Amino acid sequence: MTQPIDTSIYADVTEAIRSEAARVLTEGQVSAVVGYAAARRKGSAQPIVISDAADAGKLVFTAACVNNLAVYLTKAKKEIPKKGKIGIVVKGCDLKALVGLMGESQLKREELYLIGVPCAGVLTSIIQPNTELTSDTIAPKCRECDAHLPVGCDFVPGIALRIQPQLEEKYSAEIARLEAMPPGERWAFWKEQFSKCIKCYACRQVCPFCFCEQCLCDRNKPQMVETTPRPAGNFAWHIVRAMHLAGRCAGCAECERVCPMDIPLNLLNRKMASELKELFGHEAGFEVNDKGPLTTFTEKDDQSFIK
Amino acid sequence: MHSEKQKHDFEPKIIAFVCTWCTYAGADLAGTSRMQYPANVRVLKFPCTGRIDPVFILKAFQQGADGVLVSGCHPGDCHYIAGNFHARRRFAAFRKLLEFVGVDLNRLQFSWVSAAEGGKWVEVVTDLTEKVRAMGPMQEFKELAMEEQWSGVINTPELKEAYNQI
Repeated sequence: MTQPIDTSIYADVTEAIRSEAARVLTEGQVSAVVGYAAARRKGSAQPIVISDAADAGKLVFTAACVNNLAVYLTKAKKEIPKKGKIGIVVKGCDLKALVGLMGESQLKREELYLIGVPCAGVLTSIIQPNTELTSDTIAPKCRECDAHLPVGCDFVPGIALRIQPQLEEKYSAEIARLEAMPPGERWAFWKEQFSKCIKCYACRQVCPFCFCEQCLCDRNKPQMVETTPRPAGNFAWHIVRAMHLAGRCAGCAECERVCPMDIPLNLLNRKMASELKELFGHEAGFEVNDKGPLTTFTEKDDQSFIK
Repeated sequence: MHSEKQKHDFEPKIIAFVCTWCTYAGADLAGTSRMQYPANVRVLKFPCTGRIDPVFILKAFQQGADGVLVSGCHPGDCHYIAGNFHARRRFAAFRKLLEFVGVDLNRLQFSWVSAAEGGKWVEVVTDLTEKVRAMGPMQEFKELAMEEQWSGVINTPELKEAYNQI
């Protein structure tokens, strides 16, 4: 059954973002603001960097604002002026990514001006950006979202979120379904999924945490992961990607959204997140930890699997 | 002195990633003490278990290993103080990932073998070899390596039609 999701607050949120961005830019608190602007197609949105208060009117927030803008601060837009603070519009899931990046010393909190957005959810796909947000079109990550309201921002519009219908958690259900399979079937499932991969590395480029200057998978001496889009190399790439994100992934699901071959990449990330929560009690959140679960240890860690 | 060599239909390839300070010395002790253990194991020496990247295990399977052993110093005995503690967490997570993509974890063994435990090394290697021998060759990764590029197969009706029109 299709249930509507109430996004009526987004108009007020847009107004609040505009006036706040204009204010901090005029007062010189920030040198630039990274946010969303309407794109050419009706209803669509795209990332924008503004440095003039006059451009603040371009900023919007709608259900088509799917991007995680955190990526613009680590690698995509390194040329964003380094002087002064940078303002950034963040949804709850994006803020978790920023917090993770702060923990890894990629960003400094005092160099950011966070404009938080109360978010009721965004679209799965922006192929048809002008669709209504319903329980059918909402992104799977938003179905299990626990961060509709970002915490610890410099500015959050005082707009109360409307009560939303309880939605079925798709990732948890799919993980449970896979876990119940015998290993052979699971292998067959992933083999089929990964064989679709064309090694475009869009998942890597869009991930705020894949910020290595030189990726292990691009190196050829030694070549750890085959670069051609053959099944063997694809499998290795996706396992390495999931492993490198284990305990770091904030769950923004951008990898899955940008995948042109529709590989359920976030399933691997969610699975690793739940395992790490179970093993080491770690979860991506709003508190900056300078040690992730795999960069620290305790002497009492489980070693029942070691002889 | 030598026990009689048994003939088997299948000799598994076991790759052992070991740390130089404990397990390598333990294996060396097993050798100098003239203990017998299966010759199926190929030992690769690393400075520390902390140096062993999970991708090495993956690579070993892809290159035809039927079983992988990762072995290092007991917790608290690391030459680099905490390398094996970090490795322990990393491999705990990596096991779960491999399990989730459908790899049989019986082919992957982790152990702590100190420089004085030549006997334990023999036991661990023998156990793993016999376990993997009973399971047969690791087919999954080998089949994967043999498979062709997906775009090399013309299997959709649209592609077939386009191909025929050329």
